[in-house]
Amino acid sequence: MKQIEEFLTGRVWLRNFTPFTKEQIDKAISDGSVSISPGIIDGRQCARCLEKSTKKIVPFFCAACNAICYYCRHCIKMGRISSCTELITWALPSTISPQSHSFHWNGSLTPLQQRASQEVQASLSQKNDHLVYAVCGAGKTELLFPPIFDALKKGQRVCLAAPRTDVVLELTPRLRNVFPTTTIHSLYGNSPEESGFASLVIATTHQLYRFKDAFDVMIVDEADAFPYSYDPALKRAVIKAKKKRAPIVYVSATPSAELLKQVSHTSHIFQRFHGYPLPVPEFRSLWRYDKDFAKGKIPPKLAAWVDEKIQKNEPFLVFFPTIELIEQAIVLFQKKHPGIQAVHSKDEERKEKVMKLRERKIPGVLTSTILERGITIPNVQVAVVGADQPIFDAAALIQIAGRAGRSIDYPDGNVIFFHNGIVRQMDKAKKLIVSYNRGGAL
Amino acid sequence: MNCYLCGRDMPVHVSWRSIFFNELESVICNRCRSSFELIAGGCPICSAPGEGLCQNCCKWETTEYAGLIDSGKCLYRYNPPMKEFLHQYKFLKDAVLSEVFAEMLKEVLDGQKSIVVPIPMNENKLKERTFSQVDRLLDTASVPYLHLLGKNEVGLGGKSKSARMALEDVFWWNGKPAPEKVLLFDDLYTTGSTMRLAAKVLKENGVKEIKVLALIRA
Repeated sequence: MKQIEEFLTGRVWLRNFTPFTKEQIDKAISDGSVSISPGIIDGRQCARCLEKSTKKIVPFFCAACNAICYYCRHCIKMGRISSCTELITWALPSTISPQSHSFHWNGSLTPLQQRASQEVQASLSQKNDHLVYAVCGAGKTELLFPPIFDALKKGQRVCLAAPRTDVVLELTPRLRNVFPTTTIHSLYGNSPEESGFASLVIATTHQLYRFKDAFDVMIVDEADAFPYSYDPALKRAVIKAKKKRAPIVYVSATPSAELLKQVSHTSHIFQRFHGYPLPVPEFRSLWRYDKDFAKGKIPPKLAAWVDEKIQKNEPFLVFFPTIELIEQAIVLFQKKHPGIQAVHSKDEERKEKVMKLRERKIPGVLTSTILERGITIPNVQVAVVGADQPIFDAAALIQIAGRAGRSIDYPDGNVIFFHNGIVRQMDKAKKLIVSYNRGGAL
Repeated sequence: MNCYLCGRDMPVHVSWRSIFFNELESVICNRCRSSFELIAGGCPICSAPGEGLCQNCCKWETTEYAGLIDSGKCLYRYNPPMKEFLHQYKFLKDAVLSEVFAEMLKEVLDGQKSIVVPIPMNENKLKERTFSQVDRLLDTASVPYLHLLGKNEVGLGGKSKSARMALEDVFWWNGKPAPEKVLLFDDLYTTGSTMRLAAKVLKENGVKEIKVLALIRA
């Protein structure tokens, strides 16, 4: 029973897909320690992800009920929820005894990080939402360590949510080192099963669908990133997963106007941890580049840029607006150098390819916006092809530019926006970067 | 609308054809559509690559199941995008995905002279899955069909071919009068056991000619 409590506290789970036997669950339900609720609630809304669009909540003839049932396509990858599926949750007050937490960290915070860290902690104590607005490479994660430790010591349950699996995978080992005695669960699509009750949960925002009223502190990393910024269901999931009065800490290098307006307590860090300025992007025209690629040719200016990087043995990333263009381009680039690789969101070898680039085993990578954030490669040089395309909004361009010059050994780096006409988002990105370098004078 | 498979936004395409001929609207984008591989030619029963009857079908001809199937076809290869499709349709139970191949099945089965007989599902399995993936493909394509068979509770998956061939009583006749010509339809053709076991029961009960059709050839 203790295991069921640890597992189900703060969670909403499919009755038929738990790590426990049917008898164990049935017994817990009959003695009232686990409660049942329907998968699709009034108004045809999914009880797990709260989706209610008629495009996503669809009818079908259900052979189990011999009637029309509705199911949710939005969160179907986590196991389908239909009108006739049941969700379960732990119904009793928690009897889980508090864990002891320790904090092992030898690093130090810069004065700017230190101040932001204290401001976050103060907001959390007063149950206020807080925004950490800090440039790429400011050291946002580290400044969260002390406030997280403070919350854990108070017996609070903390969630650190990030929009992408890559970021969760990067954060998990760091936090496990810093909080060695804390039970930490790392949750993402197809993550290995974890046991016990986690005081600290590191999860993709998608995984929050499976929580309800669970967390005393909610931290949303990369709060402007796709799909979080794009998908209202994920925002609802964040609200649903935390306890009613629990504060949210948003962390972002490129917060939306909406977020800036919505959160009144904000800490700014417009300087990288190593103190050097952010590389400012340079605009370079690449007229009708799509025609060149379609004809089986790399546009000459881009070819020259890549040749130079290969010759100087500097690793490079080239961002493209569409997968189709990457597929056309990779064939041509591999004629230049067979080691050049392409990655996109569905590429299962993405991690390995990025690792190879970091280890200098391959000269460069062509990528979609999937690598716009969360990765650090020393001395990486960055180009965007089609920086005028709508998929590259100012936030994406700032993130992409933020890949360069992150390491203290190579604090500079080349960032080129190749374009077919300068657009407002490019100007906005460049102006913001310049303003951060001036200390945030907008 | 958004592509059922990759979720990308698709421009709505309305043509005079689509209005007058009541064409089914594509529910997936061109990119996803072109990731599926249609099979051309191959074995005259199962569409396996090569000329003439494939090795596997030849082997069947040396058993008691010889001559049961007169001809057949499988439409698509079981490539990674198709595996992902079938997983989402059958195992994640995304029922609306039957719409993806509706147009294709309608085209292939239109004007069919044989009676279309779907490979049935076991009753308990059906309750568990909540829909029959085979029937649904036909329903969505508006192809009329007739159930002539029932299925006992045995899973073929994971059994070796010899073990499969020993499974005699997988299907039973449901007692309806036998038509002369039948087209057996299934979602996935792997070893051909399912089709042969079903064909045997049909022929024993008076069906004269049997064709087989599967959406996918594994």
